[in-house]
Amino acid sequence: MANMIMGTSKPLITLSSSSLPTNSKPKLQIPRLSFPKLLKITKPQLLSLSTSTLKSLSLIASTSLTFAPPSLAEEIEKAALFDFNLTLPIIMVEFLVLMVALDKIWFSPLGNFMDERDAAIKEKLSSVKDTSEEVKQLEEQAAAVMRAARAEISAALNKMKKETQGEVEQKLAEGRKKIEVELQEALAKLDIQKEETIKALDSQIAALSDEIVKKVLPVQ
Amino acid sequence: MNVLSYSINTLKGLYEISGVEVGQHFYWKIGGFQVHAQVLITSWVVIVILLGSAIVTVRNPQTIPTDGQNFFEYILEFIRDVSKTQIGEEYGPWVPFIGTLFLFIFVSNWSGALLPWKIIELPHGELAAPTNDINTTVALALLTSIAYFYAGLSKKGLGYFGKYIQPTPILLPINILEDFTKPLSLSFRLFGNILADELVVVVLVSLVPSVVPIPVMFLGLFTSGIQALIFATLAAAYIGESMEGHH
Repeated sequence: MANMIMGTSKPLITLSSSSLPTNSKPKLQIPRLSFPKLLKITKPQLLSLSTSTLKSLSLIASTSLTFAPPSLAEEIEKAALFDFNLTLPIIMVEFLVLMVALDKIWFSPLGNFMDERDAAIKEKLSSVKDTSEEVKQLEEQAAAVMRAARAEISAALNKMKKETQGEVEQKLAEGRKKIEVELQEALAKLDIQKEETIKALDSQIAALSDEIVKKVLPVQ
Repeated sequence: MNVLSYSINTLKGLYEISGVEVGQHFYWKIGGFQVHAQVLITSWVVIVILLGSAIVTVRNPQTIPTDGQNFFEYILEFIRDVSKTQIGEEYGPWVPFIGTLFLFIFVSNWSGALLPWKIIELPHGELAAPTNDINTTVALALLTSIAYFYAGLSKKGLGYFGKYIQPTPILLPINILEDFTKPLSLSFRLFGNILADELVVVVLVSLVPSVVPIPVMFLGLFTSGIQALIFATLAAAYIGESMEGHH
């Protein structure tokens, strides 16, 4: 796989601040590379250079090396982006172990637990549906009881009505009879009074007519 | 000389800015082989985070879930949903693989963005997200390849290889090529995204140390999550593809 994808030792990126060369081998290459003028400085001049400039010199060397042929850069730092080695099979094994372990402590137990809970909930739900039929039966029973009670009540009501009606009619009849008797009595009394007043009027009529005649006809 | 020192100073400044350690590794030797120690260390941290949180939370599941359990159930349902939509009804056995892929990549990516790895100084190289290394991503991509080959072979036997001449035998080279491009694209997509994200954040921080990198960091978190989801979804899609019957 490694060789198929890319040569393992080929450096792809060589960026690093830690890759400053300290060995003398790259320095020897400098005159050929890019800073020939610098090396024409005489020895006393070179001695007078401060340490910081020396450092910077080495830095220049490193920068020039970055653009140097790959064989040079390789000596400085093996920047291996595509560096396949024993890490790969180790990671594979680690992954498989992790898979088995996670399955044992997480996926299987929790999954089974969840499935069982789902099943239990479904069972409970279906049992609740069954009891709804029971509820229907109970409701029907209740309705029947209610109907029976209503029938009883209406029967009792009718009975009561009939009884009370009979009583009322009886009382009414009695009342009517009483009233009629009283009425007849009163009528009879009225007749007697009428006759009496007529008699009294008859006797008074003669006297009255006499007076009328006397008044109407002037005394002769 | 003044001009020279001035130019040297600017060069120095440039070096400090670009002091990003790309492709620098902290090597350990195991039996004559070299390994990238920084990758192994961070991957152990990621694994410890995953296993530890899972052990603490799922130890004693309640019928009415508490906060942590609720979160873990949510993640599990999310993983199941992803596997189910990609693989189909027979997704059950693949949930651990897809889930571990997603969680490992997700926690790795976020650990690179959130955990202050840089505090711990290594002799060489620096600690970063495990997915920052090509070894990790290629390992995961190769496992995905193995997984979908296994899925197809266990479902259909040798008839699985019939898909190479579907729909016509002319497409045979392209179909074979696909088996190489799938892990290649998977690994390079993840590797490139995470590496680029961390580089952008580091460079921006070195240029403008305050405020400006923050949106880029949030973008990085977002990208990390998306990349984990993409990797897991594509792995599930490949597995589903090799399991489905060709028409």
